[in-house]
Amino acid sequence: MDEYYIEVPVEPPKEVRSLFIPIPPEYVEETYRSEDFLVLVGPQHPGSGHMRLIVRVHGDIIKEVIPDPGYVHRCVEKIAENRLYIQNIPLVERPSIMDAANLNLGYVRAIEEALDIEVPERAKYIRVILAELCRIGTHLYDAAILSVFMGHTTGFMYPFGIRELICEALAVMTGVRFTTSFIIPGGIRRDVDNKVLKYVYNITFAIEKRLKTFEKIFIKNPTVIARLKDVGVLTKEEAIKYGVVGPFLRASGVEYDVRKVEPYEVYDELTWEIPVADAGDGYSRFLVRVNEITQSLNMIRQCIERIPEGRVISDQICENGKEIRGSLFDALANIVLPTGEYTTLTECARGTAVFTIVSDGGSNTPYRLRLLTPGWLYLRGFMEALKGERLADLQAIYGSFGYFPPEADR
Amino acid sequence: MVMGVIGYLYGLFTSNMMDIPLIKPLVDYLLNIPGINFIVALILWRPFFAIAIAPGLGALMLYLLWIVYFERKLTARVQWRVGPLEVCRPIRGLIQALADGIRYFFQEAIVHREAHKPYFIQLPILAFIPVLIPIMFIPAGKVVGIKSDYAIQLIVAFIALIPITIIAIGWASNSRFAYIGSVREAFMYFAYEVPFVIAVISMIFIYGSGNPYTAVEKQAIVPGAILNPIAFIVYMIAMLMATSRLPFEIPEADQEIAFGPFVEYSGILFGLVMTLAYEKLYIMALLFTILFLGGWSGPPIPILGDLAPVIWLVLKTVIAISILVIVRSIYARYRLDQAIRLGWSSMLGLSLISLVVCAAVRWIL
Repeated sequence: MDEYYIEVPVEPPKEVRSLFIPIPPEYVEETYRSEDFLVLVGPQHPGSGHMRLIVRVHGDIIKEVIPDPGYVHRCVEKIAENRLYIQNIPLVERPSIMDAANLNLGYVRAIEEALDIEVPERAKYIRVILAELCRIGTHLYDAAILSVFMGHTTGFMYPFGIRELICEALAVMTGVRFTTSFIIPGGIRRDVDNKVLKYVYNITFAIEKRLKTFEKIFIKNPTVIARLKDVGVLTKEEAIKYGVVGPFLRASGVEYDVRKVEPYEVYDELTWEIPVADAGDGYSRFLVRVNEITQSLNMIRQCIERIPEGRVISDQICENGKEIRGSLFDALANIVLPTGEYTTLTECARGTAVFTIVSDGGSNTPYRLRLLTPGWLYLRGFMEALKGERLADLQAIYGSFGYFPPEADR
Repeated sequence: MVMGVIGYLYGLFTSNMMDIPLIKPLVDYLLNIPGINFIVALILWRPFFAIAIAPGLGALMLYLLWIVYFERKLTARVQWRVGPLEVCRPIRGLIQALADGIRYFFQEAIVHREAHKPYFIQLPILAFIPVLIPIMFIPAGKVVGIKSDYAIQLIVAFIALIPITIIAIGWASNSRFAYIGSVREAFMYFAYEVPFVIAVISMIFIYGSGNPYTAVEKQAIVPGAILNPIAFIVYMIAMLMATSRLPFEIPEADQEIAFGPFVEYSGILFGLVMTLAYEKLYIMALLFTILFLGGWSGPPIPILGDLAPVIWLVLKTVIAISILVIVRSIYARYRLDQAIRLGWSSMLGLSLISLVVCAAVRWIL
């Protein structure tokens, strides 16, 4: 059916002019002259997070979504230029506090690559345990947000209840519930006792048991399947074209995981599979992450079974003692990276994170730190998945992507 | 002249008074005191008692306090939490809903610039009219406001008026999310109303009359839920849809459109519109009890006299609702098109089957 414009004087709504919206006024007028209208979702909307989505709807169907991110931009990259390398470790964790260990690991590996530091085996195993614990925690967090976006409050409470065990495990291993800052160039801060590792080993079984309850109430719930199935579909080609990363790329049928492609730490020694789905809809994006939780639990168990005894800090950093406790700043405060550009890829919970450190060779602060978080990388794919869906599906697709504005804005 | 009118009214009230053996000595004593006797006679006048106390307004208020607390406590128990506890700890937070109501009352009620001001303020109060009118026709034994042979039909008709006020509320708010919410409310109304009416018609057909007394009489041996289980199921789902309980909480989806038609309300006005759905649930559940659960019939309690049927009716209703609220912690929200598809395919089909069932039941009886 052809659409005709009626030439009547159109007055765009007041808020479009007063709220500093990043769209030209012509676009607004053109929207209002056709039969569409603009819905501003956020930043105070309960289902938007810290961002604004400018949704152009035709009846109930979404025609286009323009994101307006940046409400939680904290200048991580700029602040990093004025701090010592060692002081940046707590900073780079802040974009996504539940996924702290993975971001921490990416940054530290860039420094290690520059300085050619060999990390002891035991430290590598403990790093992997921390990273996988954080991955499970993030997936549970995202599952909780997804369920509350669909009005399922029980599905919100259960994963947070389960995540409490992850926090407990991190607390006994490192002393804090999240944002551990435990991984430092050359190893880890302290050795973890074998009894503590045994405790973490038992916690993985507790998590698995509680996940079965969650599966009954939420994952196999008919209303949940009805809401997520065939919604927000990204085909394999689209997912590659828009640069989607992480579990959301794997949900579209692309078998890509940095942990397999360019293995770091001890991922190549562990036995695990990449969970992949073909549908590319909201439900498969959710299921891929649920399966990743199972894989991660399995990985943690393998790590604890195989962990060797030995040092936890490289002798290039700390020559005398076995541990760096008490001499952290003496050993690491004045490290200077040789001139050059050092890039690492890390598989965070929500996808690939890119760390680039540019050093001028003379100063003890980075010349430039580039941090590309997964949220920022898949924002485009997320916006494309929304096109052609109903307005009620906006929150379901949002939850299925687990988009986290603080992580994307950095 | 005035004394004559008062005397006439007193005579009217005393001629149709509640007969409760338990408090009879007290009532007799109070009726001898001039001045107080008129008030006592008014309160115990059966039509007034039905509308103002039970199963009318008084029971409605108590039910609201109970169901808000019970729903939160039950959901909390399912979700590994404790629920409301801190308001009056010795009774485990039982008066939480009352505390919330008081808080709403002292909050500022903001009227935004774009609203149609008179309608915006009036409509939450006007919305109570279609909610409260059906109470007049709901009998509980001898306690009844208005006796009518078409009481069930009238109740259904007045229930059907409630969504109109909600749509008007959304329209008066003049906001985008309120607009989307009222359109959704209209669509949901469209989805549940036809199966709901057919389910009620099939029950009226079984009982042979729209008179609640006949309906309850016919259920003396077998309750309506067993006579026509399909109508029972259709009515229950329609009740969830009509009061936007969770699998169908579509017009008020707080994560999607932030309470839909009520998005702009605050303070006591929000308190009023928030309870609308609960009140509608109460009315529909009263009708549900009369049609399917044997109404006010129950083991007789001689000492309570006329009060016993009232207690049975309210008790059955509250228990039915208390069982119904558990769906909130089990299901996620359906999409609008899925709910409409459910209403016009499965529910409409089931309600038509229920008509066939009732024809069969009538032939057997």
